[in-house]
Amino acid sequence: MSHTEHEAPIHRTSSRRLGKMLAIIIGVQVIGGAIFFTNYSYWNSYLPEAGKLQEEQMEKQAAASAAAGPSATQGTFTGKEIHVSLKFVESPDFKNYGFNAPIGTSGANPEIDVNVGDKIDFDVTNGGKSFHAFAVTASSSGPGPAIDGTTIGTADSPMKPGEHGTVSFIPSSAGTYYYICAVPGHRELGMEGKIVVGGGGAASAGGIPAGTGGTVPASGQKAEYSLSFDISSDFSKYGFNGTIGSPSANPTITVHSGDTVTIHLSNPSKSFHAFGVVTDPDNPSSLVWNSAFKTADNPMKPGEKGDVTFVAGTPGLYHYICTVPGHAALGMNGNFVVEK
Amino acid sequence: MVLELQKPRPVWQIMFSTHHTDVGYLYTITGLTFLFMAGVLAMIIRTHLFFPGEGVLVSDSATFNRIFTVHGLTMLFLFALPVANGIGNILVPIMVRYKDMAYPKLNAIAFWMNPVGGALLWLGFADVSWVSYAPYSIIRAPGPAADMFIFGMKILGISSILSSINFVVTVLKCKHPDLSLRRVPLFAWSMLTVSLMTLIAMPTYAAALIMMLTDRLGLSGFFNPFAGGDPIAYLHLFWFTFHPEVYIFLLPAIGMMYEIIPRFSRKPLYSQASGVFAFVMLGIIGFASWGHHMYSTGMDFTTKVVFMIGTLAAVPASGMHVFNFLATMWGARIRFAAPMKFAVGGIALFFSAGAGGVLNSAMPLDFISHGTYWVVGHMHLFLTGTIGFGFVAMVYYMFPYITGRMYSEKWANVHFIGMFWGTVQVFFTQHLLGLEGMPRRIYDYPPEFTSWTQLNQIATVGAWILGASFAVFLASLIYYSAKGKPANMDDPWGLGGKYYYPVAAKNPHGGHSGY
Amino acid sequence: MGHDTAEWVFVAVVIAVLVYVGVDSWIVQKEVEDVPADAEVIKVTGQQWFWSFEHADGTKEISTLHLKKGHAYKFEIYSRDVMHSFNIPDWVVFEDAVPGHTNHAWFAPNEVGTYPIQCREYCGLLHYNMRGSLVVEDDKS
Repeated sequence: MSHTEHEAPIHRTSSRRLGKMLAIIIGVQVIGGAIFFTNYSYWNSYLPEAGKLQEEQMEKQAAASAAAGPSATQGTFTGKEIHVSLKFVESPDFKNYGFNAPIGTSGANPEIDVNVGDKIDFDVTNGGKSFHAFAVTASSSGPGPAIDGTTIGTADSPMKPGEHGTVSFIPSSAGTYYYICAVPGHRELGMEGKIVVGGGGAASAGGIPAGTGGTVPASGQKAEYSLSFDISSDFSKYGFNGTIGSPSANPTITVHSGDTVTIHLSNPSKSFHAFGVVTDPDNPSSLVWNSAFKTADNPMKPGEKGDVTFVAGTPGLYHYICTVPGHAALGMNGNFVVEK
Repeated sequence: MVLELQKPRPVWQIMFSTHHTDVGYLYTITGLTFLFMAGVLAMIIRTHLFFPGEGVLVSDSATFNRIFTVHGLTMLFLFALPVANGIGNILVPIMVRYKDMAYPKLNAIAFWMNPVGGALLWLGFADVSWVSYAPYSIIRAPGPAADMFIFGMKILGISSILSSINFVVTVLKCKHPDLSLRRVPLFAWSMLTVSLMTLIAMPTYAAALIMMLTDRLGLSGFFNPFAGGDPIAYLHLFWFTFHPEVYIFLLPAIGMMYEIIPRFSRKPLYSQASGVFAFVMLGIIGFASWGHHMYSTGMDFTTKVVFMIGTLAAVPASGMHVFNFLATMWGARIRFAAPMKFAVGGIALFFSAGAGGVLNSAMPLDFISHGTYWVVGHMHLFLTGTIGFGFVAMVYYMFPYITGRMYSEKWANVHFIGMFWGTVQVFFTQHLLGLEGMPRRIYDYPPEFTSWTQLNQIATVGAWILGASFAVFLASLIYYSAKGKPANMDDPWGLGGKYYYPVAAKNPHGGHSGY
Repeated sequence: MGHDTAEWVFVAVVIAVLVYVGVDSWIVQKEVEDVPADAEVIKVTGQQWFWSFEHADGTKEISTLHLKKGHAYKFEIYSRDVMHSFNIPDWVVFEDAVPGHTNHAWFAPNEVGTYPIQCREYCGLLHYNMRGSLVVEDDKS
């Protein structure tokens, strides 16, 4: 300070003052640390709302593409019990992943063959260096969606190296399922194995071979169906006669080869749509039998109604979709089965 | 404590006081506490990266991501800004010859926001990285940590704005009528400049934080590409604040060197006018270069050129400061006590940091260095090398005035040698690591890149030396504040007092502007 | 020589160095951004936490990209979720992958070999493991 300092006594820091200050500082840190560590698992526990919206979108797409495939819920145990041990492994250069061995080497991703009603007991260990998560899914690509009750860990809370878990799966309908690692990217890098399920009840859509789209002469028999284009209010779920996920949505239409089929279409939704029967639901141009009503460039407007009539061709599994790009993936995709 | 009022007061009275010296101590002491906490995190990071392979020290990458996030946030917002504010609070009213800051109660409120913000950041321990780029921080960063991060940063930002208002009004409106603005000491000029910059830059980030929060809640789609937004908008808002912000971190340290270097050189400052000009010029041009952080986001050629010119234009101002210091020291009878050693070491590292930065600003060379350890080395040379050295110099300088006792020159030497050597070893090595291509923010690296392993190990050893020197610093601060030899309060270093402030106010009662 | 001459000289030298850096950067960057017209387009998609590629003829590859020596390639870089950065350090290929944007980078490898591909923008849990390989082979055609 200035010259007045010489008159007043100079108070130098003492141990007691220092001790009080340190006690406060260290005390606050200890209390803070106690709060932090007792709630350790809470702090990073949930995904933000915005992330959930995107995840739901991705799952809808995956579910829509699996809608034509095997059933996505577990069945009842009426058959044999099979034990399968699986280990997540990575190649040393981390380029190839796999179950039991990296993809491409012998012993990798063993195929499991069972029947409907059999129970597969999975015993899964993480033998790799990275994090993994186990799931059984019906979709043929992507990290999900997982069938209920078949997951060990998730992408956000995965299995650490050395961790171990068990889970069971009872397929309820025939078809091809996949056991995968649910961490995004790992399936594409090789962690995918097939579960081929045979037998089961009435021919589900998964058991019918895809139709070739050939034409046949009209047999004179007629069939009529009504379909409406529906969208959920938050624009995340689409579908025919209800949005995907609801019990009435995307009804399977079964006709005979040669039937003259009339579809009554209505668009009560807020968006534009167009109709067609295709061989490949991911490809809106794979139309067959002149079954298109309106196109993506000239679509049905909200409130519009219309009819389309065509002759069902060679037997097989086809799909009726909305041919506006993306709408089939969002849920406007139903099975169109042509029997002999 | 010596700079307090005439008799020792209870600790709780100091804690809730609004007097500028007390608030200054609170800022400085909490700031130094956070320095050591974040330093521990840094030691964990460097030790973990000594060997390639997961689980060397940190068990999983999620924890590692959270550690480097909190390390960065703490060092920048809970150490660098508060300590600058603290020293500013203690000295600026004295420098402008006023009795306190302009708004003492606001001052205290602004301080108390710091522990609250710090608690939110440390309890949440988010993993967004300190820049928290969209869309990761919006669609993937888990809560409540990321939300606590947003609230904590919001509170710290408001605290920054409030204390900036205080400094601006104190220097411009409350200074003594006989003291012209040109003759206000340069440290006060640096605080004035950064306060004005904060008032312009910080609100942009405050807006970005609110938008990030509403995006996270799913209510809006500013930066969320799946809701119609654009992540690059966030980057612009962020860097428009944080490029000027890096100058805000830097300028108080330069200002502190202006306090120390002329004094310990026992020679008048080479040019007060140069210093003022350089501060103001940097304050203005600092706003013209934020895009250089975004060269690789898909910018077109012309925009890149504009930002490169803006970046390069700020370099001469920094050069003028370096010249000012060197010219002041030239031909002087320098007393190399601890504050002077750290100040001069800081200038040397400032120069090398700036030289490396010129490479970053050159557009094609940035594509080699962006996102690699080159940037980590470059920015830490500024942060540890300049700001760290400057603040440490100032702490040693203020030590006798605050405690009435002298620190030990011997242990301060040990601290200096360790800190200088350690800083050079870690951060120069990281420049090489960046040239080898090692990205930032990675938990592990492939063991087959042997050059990465070797360089990481050299850097970690340097970090241990740096950490050890800080342990010496902490022990020294604690021990000598209670047990140090009583200092000669008129002239603790025996400098002679002849070349004190060259710009004395013409105040018949004041005499010289020293203390 | 006045009091200020030394300072003016110093500032002039600094500005001269910076002008040189600026002009040289301008020239080099102009050359670097000049994409050859015959560059084959490779689509690169980054997502958490791997890279996938699609050649001009539709062939898809994951994590490992096979290219031919002596050809120019232009990358169209997309992201499926958060920001990534596509980087082949040995060939200074570097550009961010921003969801909602398409960014471009190009190069023309003139040596065979295997080179690492990495991600250089923090993208979460396995950012450090978001690696791939570039394999440059002789052009056998």
